[in-house]
Amino acid sequence: MSFIKKFIEQETVSRRNFLLASAFGISGAAAARMFGPSPVQAATYSDPTIAWSYRNRTNPYWNEIVSGGEAFVESLGKSKGDLTHLINEGSSEKSLADVKALLAKTNGELALAIDTNDAPNARPVVESCVEAGAYVSTLWNKTDDLHPWDFGDNYVSHMSWSDEGPAEQTARILLDAIGGKGGVVHLGGIASNNPAIERLAGLKTALLDYPDVELLDAQPADWDTQKANQIMSSFITRYGDEIKGVHCANDTIGYGVLEALRAEGMDIPIVTYDGNPQAVDLVREGRILATVFTNPHWGGGITAALAYHAAIGTFKPSEEPKEHREFYGPTIMVTPDDAAAFKANYIENVPTYDWTDFWGPANGQIQYK
Amino acid sequence: MTEVVAQTAPRASFLTRDRIIKWAPLLVLVFLTLVFPFFEWLEDLQEGKQHLFLVDSRFFSIRNAARILIASTPALMVAIGVTFIILMGSIDLSMEGTVSVCAVIFAFAFISWGGTLASWAWLAIPLALVVGAVLGFINGLVHVRLKIPSFMASLAMGFVGTGFALLLTGGDRIRVEDEIFRSLLTVRWFNFPIMVYVALAMTLLAWFIQSRTTLGRNFYAVGGGEELAHASGLNVTRVRLMGFTLAGVFFAMGALLAVGRIGIAETATGNNFMFISITAVVVGGTALWGGIGGVWNTLVGVLIVNVINNGMVVIGLPSYAQDGVLGLLVIIAVVLSTDRKSVSFVK
Repeated sequence: MSFIKKFIEQETVSRRNFLLASAFGISGAAAARMFGPSPVQAATYSDPTIAWSYRNRTNPYWNEIVSGGEAFVESLGKSKGDLTHLINEGSSEKSLADVKALLAKTNGELALAIDTNDAPNARPVVESCVEAGAYVSTLWNKTDDLHPWDFGDNYVSHMSWSDEGPAEQTARILLDAIGGKGGVVHLGGIASNNPAIERLAGLKTALLDYPDVELLDAQPADWDTQKANQIMSSFITRYGDEIKGVHCANDTIGYGVLEALRAEGMDIPIVTYDGNPQAVDLVREGRILATVFTNPHWGGGITAALAYHAAIGTFKPSEEPKEHREFYGPTIMVTPDDAAAFKANYIENVPTYDWTDFWGPANGQIQYK
Repeated sequence: MTEVVAQTAPRASFLTRDRIIKWAPLLVLVFLTLVFPFFEWLEDLQEGKQHLFLVDSRFFSIRNAARILIASTPALMVAIGVTFIILMGSIDLSMEGTVSVCAVIFAFAFISWGGTLASWAWLAIPLALVVGAVLGFINGLVHVRLKIPSFMASLAMGFVGTGFALLLTGGDRIRVEDEIFRSLLTVRWFNFPIMVYVALAMTLLAWFIQSRTTLGRNFYAVGGGEELAHASGLNVTRVRLMGFTLAGVFFAMGALLAVGRIGIAETATGNNFMFISITAVVVGGTALWGGIGGVWNTLVGVLIVNVINNGMVVIGLPSYAQDGVLGLLVIIAVVLSTDRKSVSFVK
């Protein structure tokens, strides 16, 4: 049990350091700022441990992300099993504790790709990695005031997606399909999730141009097929034939909506988001009007690749422009016209990506509102 | 010779406390089915629309009843399974894992053995039930042989199940598209889809087990007082094992209906069943300390929870208020429907 003891000791020491640092105060921090970020040259490693830290694999989306990470590791001539998985099960505390444990185990020789579960957790994770000399790339969650360029080379990059624009596009496809008049309903993700907020906002922006369309109701379906199914049935009771179209925050919700409509023998247009393989099939059959593919496979692979290549010294992050440090991931609209081609290119054959083309498919620097 | 005359018991008044408590869950259900149409009526009144109370209600209609029942059937099966366990004074929290494993194994077998009920693929249905029984049996073994409290044993087995389902699927979904199997949802007899009748048949079977078999009576004996049952020569261990196995079969049935409803089997198929089934059992008036309640209570409990869920959306309650209202209604329903006077302490 000595490793547990060691871990607790380390934690105690770092807490003590934290208290001392707090006592040292803001003036000290400000003074340190003047000398610029990390004056010490970041060390590079010949064979760092590669790790992905994420929620879990139950969710097909995260499954795709991690399969991208595995594809990248295999492209290095290693086996799938050489990717270390840190699974946080939706707990930020576990996410941070796992990272610290792995840093201790690898002595900082680590290339870490991570979604920190929530935005505030990104700072302690990044700071632990920087302190240990590891290289970290983040996906999705971070606070707006945390930037890779403030940490020299060790905080390599951050990738996220802006869903508002694509969700607005799917909304326009839906609203055109119902002839620009009538009622629509929206089934959203977990109400506090950023993508859920952005996807509803996209619909609302589109609605401004369609004065004859009424948003009858919008309820969170928590990204869950069965909950979506139940809510859609209740919507049908409340609004009946007034509903002319359905805007879903993701594919999983869309499946539940389609089944609720099938149970009633109704056939009205719906649009979804995420571009899961089954949703793409449904788009091809014309049962879903449009979905948006965000290429999680590439996102998961490239996030690990960025951290790895920075760690072995292929490129020096601090010499890259800002749009290479914080950028949006790719989005591809899938409609019935191009679903077949899309399926052939992206699903039946997972493309072999060049994992050193770090920014080719990216979508520009992240903008803060 | 003295004449023996049977004395008639003094006539009990119609509304005894026992009777009220016995019927309270049903009264709550009736109250709810009347209160949601009332809010609907109120809303239409404010908008100046003509609306006859109940007659014009969208909530109080056959179509909506069918929707509520469709949503209820998988949860009802799971809740009935756990009812047997709660009757014994134990608890089973493995339903989410068991439902996921059964759904996934069913889907894999169904697809690989032909993909339609009109082939050997029908064997996937008994296979799923057997898998459920086996999982329940293991769950029971962990509980009685390793002497781990049922709460912890079943929770742990649930996690094992979820992990196993994930291992099988690798995170993917399996679509079950067979028209014959999906007729559970799409074909209606007298306005209600077939799955509702399947659930009704299973409920009757559960009621039969509960009230007409030795096993069913033993559940009550164990729940009413385990030491007493043991001292009377009852093999409590065996009853518990059979209870968990039976629960597993009903969880598998829930999994089949869940797949029938959505057409998808995945690791997430089991999500939320723990909350809804335990809530429904308690709201229905089955006591968590065992020995009181039964299948009909659970049926009413499941309907209460689903009527609330459906009704809240139908009357247009804002989404942020729904969780809070559901919680409050659950507390009210439990207060009304369980007899807490006979319990000296609540733990």
